[in-house]
Amino acid sequence: MKINYKKIVCFTFAAGLLVGCDDFLDVDKRKDVTQEDSGVVYEPVQFVNGIYGMMTEWDYAFSYLGITEIISDNADKGSSPTDPGGDKGLLDGLTHTATVGSVEAMWTNWYKAIGRATYSIQYTEDYGLTDEAYKNRLIGEAKFLRAYHYFFLVRGWGDVPLQHLDLTTRVPKEQVYDYIEQDLLDAIATLPEKSQYAPADLGRATKGAAKALLAKVYLYQKDWANAYEYANQVITSGEYGLEGDYATLWREETENGTESIFEVQARGESIAHGVQQYSETQGARGTSGWGWGFNTPSQNLLDAFNAEGDAIRRDATIIFRGETLFDGREVSTAVENPMYNEKAYSSANAGAGDGDKNIRVLRLAEIYLIHAEAANELNNSGVAVASLNEVRGRVNLGAVAFSNQSQMRTAIWKERRLELAFEHDRWFDLIRTGQAEAAMAADGKTFIVGTHELFPIPNNQLIATPGMTPNPGY
Amino acid sequence: MKNFIFGVFVFLLYQGQIMAQDINGKVLDETGLPLPGVTISNATASSSTITDFDGNFSINAKAGESLTFTFLGYQTQTVTASAGMSVSMSSAATDIDEVVVVGYGSQKRSDLTSAISTIKSDQITKQPAYNALQSLQGKAAGVNIIANDAPGATPTIIIRGLGTAESGRSPMYVVDGIITGSIANLNPNDIESFDVMKDAASSAIYGSNAANGVVFITTKKGKQGNTQIKVNSFYGTKSILNQVKMANSSQYVTFFNEKQAALGLSERLSTNQQYNTDWFDALAGVSFSQGNDVSFSGGNENSTYYFSFNNYTEDGLIDDHDVSRNTLRSSNTLKAIDGKLKITQNFSASFAKSTPKPYSSFTDAYKQAPVVPVLYPDGRYGQSFWNKTTGQVGYEIGPGESGGRLNAIGNPVANAFYANEKNKMMELQGLIQADYEITDWLTATSRFGATKSYSKTRVFSDIRARWLTADPTRTGASFDASQAAAPNSTEFADNSLSYRDVESFRYNWDTYLTFDKSFGKHNFDATLGVTQERRNDIYESYMQGYNVPAQENYWNINLGSSNPLKVAQQFYADPIQVLSYFGRIQYNFDERYYISGTVRRDGNSAFKNNAEYWGTFPSVSAGWVITNESFLKDIKNIDFIKLRAGYGEVGNANVPVNISVINVDAGSGNNNYVFGPNQDLILGSSAGSPATELSWEVTKEVNVGLDFELLERRLSGTVDYYNRLNTNTVIDVKPILNGPYSSNYFDHGGEVRNKGIEASLNWRDNITDDFTYSIGVNYGRNTNTLENVKPAYDGTIGGSLGDGQITKRLQEGQPIYSWWMLESNGVWQTQAEIDANPHIGNPAPGHLRYVDQNGDGLIDDRDKKYFGSYIPKFSYGVNINLAYKNFDLSVDGFGVGGNKVYNGLKGTRIDGGENIAADTFNGRWTGPGTSNTNPGANRDALASSYFLEDGDYFRINNITLGYTFVDMFKISKLRIYGTAQNPFMFTKYSGFTPELNNSGTPRETAGIELSAYPNIKTFIFGVNIEF
Repeated sequence: MKINYKKIVCFTFAAGLLVGCDDFLDVDKRKDVTQEDSGVVYEPVQFVNGIYGMMTEWDYAFSYLGITEIISDNADKGSSPTDPGGDKGLLDGLTHTATVGSVEAMWTNWYKAIGRATYSIQYTEDYGLTDEAYKNRLIGEAKFLRAYHYFFLVRGWGDVPLQHLDLTTRVPKEQVYDYIEQDLLDAIATLPEKSQYAPADLGRATKGAAKALLAKVYLYQKDWANAYEYANQVITSGEYGLEGDYATLWREETENGTESIFEVQARGESIAHGVQQYSETQGARGTSGWGWGFNTPSQNLLDAFNAEGDAIRRDATIIFRGETLFDGREVSTAVENPMYNEKAYSSANAGAGDGDKNIRVLRLAEIYLIHAEAANELNNSGVAVASLNEVRGRVNLGAVAFSNQSQMRTAIWKERRLELAFEHDRWFDLIRTGQAEAAMAADGKTFIVGTHELFPIPNNQLIATPGMTPNPGY
Repeated sequence: MKNFIFGVFVFLLYQGQIMAQDINGKVLDETGLPLPGVTISNATASSSTITDFDGNFSINAKAGESLTFTFLGYQTQTVTASAGMSVSMSSAATDIDEVVVVGYGSQKRSDLTSAISTIKSDQITKQPAYNALQSLQGKAAGVNIIANDAPGATPTIIIRGLGTAESGRSPMYVVDGIITGSIANLNPNDIESFDVMKDAASSAIYGSNAANGVVFITTKKGKQGNTQIKVNSFYGTKSILNQVKMANSSQYVTFFNEKQAALGLSERLSTNQQYNTDWFDALAGVSFSQGNDVSFSGGNENSTYYFSFNNYTEDGLIDDHDVSRNTLRSSNTLKAIDGKLKITQNFSASFAKSTPKPYSSFTDAYKQAPVVPVLYPDGRYGQSFWNKTTGQVGYEIGPGESGGRLNAIGNPVANAFYANEKNKMMELQGLIQADYEITDWLTATSRFGATKSYSKTRVFSDIRARWLTADPTRTGASFDASQAAAPNSTEFADNSLSYRDVESFRYNWDTYLTFDKSFGKHNFDATLGVTQERRNDIYESYMQGYNVPAQENYWNINLGSSNPLKVAQQFYADPIQVLSYFGRIQYNFDERYYISGTVRRDGNSAFKNNAEYWGTFPSVSAGWVITNESFLKDIKNIDFIKLRAGYGEVGNANVPVNISVINVDAGSGNNNYVFGPNQDLILGSSAGSPATELSWEVTKEVNVGLDFELLERRLSGTVDYYNRLNTNTVIDVKPILNGPYSSNYFDHGGEVRNKGIEASLNWRDNITDDFTYSIGVNYGRNTNTLENVKPAYDGTIGGSLGDGQITKRLQEGQPIYSWWMLESNGVWQTQAEIDANPHIGNPAPGHLRYVDQNGDGLIDDRDKKYFGSYIPKFSYGVNINLAYKNFDLSVDGFGVGGNKVYNGLKGTRIDGGENIAADTFNGRWTGPGTSNTNPGANRDALASSYFLEDGDYFRINNITLGYTFVDMFKISKLRIYGTAQNPFMFTKYSGFTPELNNSGTPRETAGIELSAYPNIKTFIFGVNIEF
């Protein structure tokens, strides 16, 4: 009897555990607040901010340098001769292939930014904002940014997939341009001018920025009339002017200044947030240096400045070994490379992970040069000369006189190089103007006609979407 | 006092029994010591007894009757009774009789139908180590231990191959029934045995925790008899086993100048240098370890006790790298209610301290130039500055002279010196278990096991001193000026101090019934139970402050400055609770035919949001003991043969977590941006990749095995074949490049197959009565393959060398994270040769040349090739033991093969001014025709097969020679011994150690020698004393 009693106790004990224990698996989350508990509502503007955020990616501090400057005649790889910088040495030598990381990184980055823009447009439209103007502005910003990123893609790779259609099929570049133009026209219709924004919104895409970008987009399609038209609208908008001193153009004091049409924003104070390591990767390397020493000015560029007698822009663009900088920093004679990119230099955050360097994307001087080029092609030599000399005048260079359209064209192209050196325009400009083969030869590189006009479709893209056609020669 | 009462009690009991008995005798062990607690039974008279403290017994028997002597761990003997008989018991010469822990129970090895390896204490304690896992290396086939010789390090254990790419890889540990994630808190001397469940048929009883195998640790318990006091002590000295000879100053200068010349640079190092630094000598020296250990144990038939204390200290090779641990353990058992209720209680506390130093110093020591001094004459740390005009090393640059750096490597001695970290860890672990014998065939058991641990990490960084050290041209005044200009900048704070506190708690509560009954030749046993478990209950806090007083006694965050802002972070992790039901049923007929089945049903709170958060894990296995068949029963020299086969399903619930659907960043991050004239940081967000529901990985395994004992049990062995498939491996998926989503996400998208064979053989014999020996060998071979990957899911790269080069890739058809790189096939001899062949970039003569695998005339990633895995294809162990009179000698060896390791020390260069090994210097290319294998001083920095070397090695892990004094003074046993740990290693690998685990994460630097701790050889002298 005693034994039976014990049996009952034991079985009850075990059976009690066997039944009804499922609530043991209901464990409250503690680490992160779940979405339903947080009550967080994501405003459309946050998703629009997220598109801008893509422009602060690390890719812009390294890969971007590789495929916009190092690859061109303006810049060399830099750093130590034995440091390949990933694939920077390959790009510098025009020996890049479909597997180089920089090309893949920017292809990816630009498509991701486009993805964010498309998502935010949809999100904004569905969200139910009552302020139509605000809603349209947000959509306009997103469209501007989407166009901005497609413009990189179409220039870099030619026919590219339109992300909202299909990820494999490459759409003819004319259609990509149509898509870009439509986005920009929509943006122009809804975006405020720079002066119309509330101060807190400084840095957002403006009507002027959309027009300026559209002018450049038309320039690339040789649609001279439209390029002229939109450049002219920007110049005459009254929103912008040229900075007096070229040397200050990339310094903190002129950030979002009168000449600035669109620039990537950055802050250096904690919590710092800028294009990650942009100043560091291009900072002087070695003793007393503050950076990695990549993307260094080439002898070819230095010669171009000197040939033009262009001391102001030369000294504003190039840090020379042993020089004392404008802010008093002494660059030792022991730094690794003879020249560094001064436009990337930040006084306050020279070698910081996140620095205060605002990266100028579109500024009025370039619009003058677009204006000049379009006018020249439209046989309006007077305007061409005036706009060109507007830019030259600031840096104390003599006025160029018109002798013929071709001479004028060459002069404008040369001016673009010197004015916009290290502003990530050179490579695309060389391709656009057809100067690339000759310019590369002059810089000791071999430009393969029929191949190097376009970047390779990244190999990892081709692996994932085997149906996509690669670019010729890669 | 307790002992006295106990003694009286036993004495009285004894007196009462002696009346009716008429055969007396004594039982001794192999060494002639009395053996208490041996059960003697007489079948004729149906009587039985046990031996007392002195091994004496008295039993109701007549001379000539058969007496059976049984004792756990010893061979059962049947001896004819005679007055004053003396019986010598020998320890179980065979593994077949040993008891194996099987999870919620135990059984005789001869009854086992699955693959479980057992390692006993004597094999563990032979090689003193901080973590007992280290001593398991080479002891069990299929259990691959990748040791790490850094003090206090945790070795990696891989059982039957790597089964997962991204999920948890560590096996489950069960210490006397307590489920735990690590056994670093255990004193190896407290361990009685390890039982490693290797196949799913055995481990399926642990369901979703068992995919990486289950390791049982049984700790020592008291035995009936007098109090036994054991004292163990050892002292060891340690040094680098396999030191690489580096180039000296003059070789370095030659090499550097050749590189300069090849690059067309005019500056040269002077051939007359002041310094010739051996950085490894400067950084690493001989270090010491010692352990002291005392234990008390004993008991009577109603209770046993075991108590131990251990102190272990070990220094690292780098100055001030110390680890120490004190452990206390107490285990008690108590029987009550006529012996039907057994209460087991054990408790352990471990207190560990360490002051780690950065392993990166070993890489720095390899690469820093020998021409650089450890210290300049002015007492500052040397750095790689040189005067390009004079060619001398130093930071003084005269007017008109130019300077530079040879390389970007810091001073390894300085880096180690300024690394100031202190860790403290306390772990409390306990178990209480009650077993109640309801009837003689049914037992109810309930047990509760828990672990609580506390750790504290303090890191102090002397920012100012580091800043000044990094560049000798810097001055304190300029630091002060920068600090004044940016008082909020953490870059120019005097120092920083941080504390990280982590507390964690886990428990498991198991309740089960055990049924065990025989009906004639039909033997049944069954187990049925329920268990609940809570884990990942973690509290973590981190605080950081700046500008605290320099004196260590004032290192309080409170005493730091208010700027830069102090950091305070704290969180509680999401606990995981698991509820499980399990059952096992086993049947055998006449100990000939065995069949066993288990089932486990797990519910896991981590997957509660999934449709399926309950999973079922079954297994079935069968065995046939051929030698118990009549046709084989009495054949001489064939003692035991068993065939067995099993199938089981197990899970891995330790899968990674997909992040939320909307991405946001707290600070700097690509969702945020700066707007406004004051450049305010404005938060943004973006849509993350659509999250997929994750669940546990399920692994299915088939195992077929054979156990045998032959030649009068002198030869025993086991052979196993297994094939295990992780059917839904979690893969880290990178979204399509031109798609809208950027964040990688995890998804079930492939299968990982591990298949292989394991074999172990043991031979033991005695040549004379006082000369015995045994030889054991074991071998395990495994192939690992990733299969059936969803399209575009593979291709994740890994093995970053930290200089932009990667070395691994996850690819279908290859082992997990295989080596993937260019294949080098020689050295460019001339520019003409380069121009005529496919090449990468713009190489120069003397650079390595690479194979154009796809023949497209270009060399790029598409020409990269798979080169196998860093995980050995096979591993083997050899264990030899000799005992002659009072001498004992043991030799253990361990080897692996079929793996590749990447010499990242040699292969990761950026500046070209890093030092090289003397062999690299001597073998270099110096002009056309000089070498077609080794590149010249001017070399590229691409990852390639040139740096990938065979990782095969064979190492003598242990040679121990001991001598035992018996019955000296009051000491019953005193053994002195000397041990050489890792005295020799045979390998072709050119670095310090081919045994490279690093973090153990396959996609990271596992298998790459970069910031790795060298292999160490240790010479130990020790004593074991028993009272």
